Amino acid sequence: MNSQQVIKLSLTLVIYLILQIFILRNFVLANVAFCLVYVACILLLPNEINTSIVLVISFVIGLLVDIFYNTAGLHASATVLLGFSRSTVIKYLFPTKGLDTEVVISLRDMGAERFIRYIAILTLAHHTVLFFIEAGNFDLFLITIVKIICSVLFTTVMIFLIQYLRRD
Amino acid sequence: MSQLIRLIYKSRNLLLFIILEILSFWLLVKNNGYWEVSFFNTSNYYAAKTLESSNYIKNYMNLGDVNQQLATENAKLHQQLVAMQQLIGNRPKDAYKIDSIYATRFEFKVAKVINNTVSLTDNYITIDKGSADGVEKGMGVICPQGVVGIVKSCNDHMSIVTSILHSNFQVSSEVHNQTLRKNNDKALGIGKWNGANPRIINLTTIDRFKPIKTGDSVTTSEQNSVFPTNIMVGKIRKQGTKPDQPFYDIEVELSTDFPNLTYVYIVNNKLKKEQDLLEENNTQTKQ
Repeated sequence: MNSQQVIKLSLTLVIYLILQIFILRNFVLANVAFCLVYVACILLLPNEINTSIVLVISFVIGLLVDIFYNTAGLHASATVLLGFSRSTVIKYLFPTKGLDTEVVISLRDMGAERFIRYIAILTLAHHTVLFFIEAGNFDLFLITIVKIICSVLFTTVMIFLIQYLRRD
Repeated sequence: MSQLIRLIYKSRNLLLFIILEILSFWLLVKNNGYWEVSFFNTSNYYAAKTLESSNYIKNYMNLGDVNQQLATENAKLHQQLVAMQQLIGNRPKDAYKIDSIYATRFEFKVAKVINNTVSLTDNYITIDKGSADGVEKGMGVICPQGVVGIVKSCNDHMSIVTSILHSNFQVSSEVHNQTLRKNNDKALGIGKWNGANPRIINLTTIDRFKPIKTGDSVTTSEQNSVFPTNIMVGKIRKQGTKPDQPFYDIEVELSTDFPNLTYVYIVNNKLKKEQDLLEENNTQTKQ
């Protein structure tokens, strides 16, 4: 990675965090659909980054979001899990035949369908963990499931739209 | 030895993952118990300042609503004042005298809401007054429409309030209607949120033989030291009974508009410490 890519990547992270903390924090549809676009910070990291660094970035971003949601540790735990499962999901979803090409994670290189599939699967994992830890037990099982499904749809659509707008 | 080091190196990602998860859960558990880790929430100075600036614009958009709320409250206060003055005239002289210290035990402070959630299982509100303004842990918080919550922790300039919309929060409440008043009866119960809808809470432990109807108003009862008596909680929306239960199942529609909360009052009960001390001593002597 050259310095230009690093700057571009950090800019992406900052944009998503600002969007999450200032605007989408208060944006909940019908009390069930949360928009947690900050997961894109981890999803859009390049594939060649070391998993250890991804984990540390995930933890820091999760904790930053936690501070503003008053939920120390909640988003951090879900996001670290997301960072850990990321490389496995990439390997499973986009098997590379031989040595020829590494997967480049971006809307332009992957195409809409593969990109959405990738985002939706990892967002689902993240939100499932997040909402069940948040509920604390299985008493509110149904409403938690509804929250997960609606939030995954909302977040995926939102990330896709944002990436679509800044694809150039 | 070198094999061990190689093994650790090989599974370094898994180890790091486990360490970070343990750290997160430690924060989570510690955070739920008490708020000593006050850096990782919105009472952190920088986080609060950031939120304050982002709420600045939102406040302007709410001005109309706030005006409306204040005007309504003014009208209500006026009405109560007149009612009080009427009462003073015909009170019997030798009857129960209210101690003037007891009557003036509540003190109110205005604060602005700078962060607020309603959709989680445990919701908190951050307000812009802290210990420098005399706010302490355990004080009640109300708004012109009704009860809001209890101060959970504070630093110099911010406080975090546990709202009614919290899985562990209970408010002692009382139902009011004509029949109860005529019979000189009381219907006391405990209000608790069920975690689903931020406009509805459940009211339990009210005897199923009390005359209660849909639409009756629910207020805070005299049996609590945090909130003043007769602060509005809401109106009964639905009530029913199960054959094997001695109590009603009541749904109360909250009068407080939590999603649009802007200004709140912090209630300081100056005699609360005395009361707590007395009650604590009492339980100790029993043992």
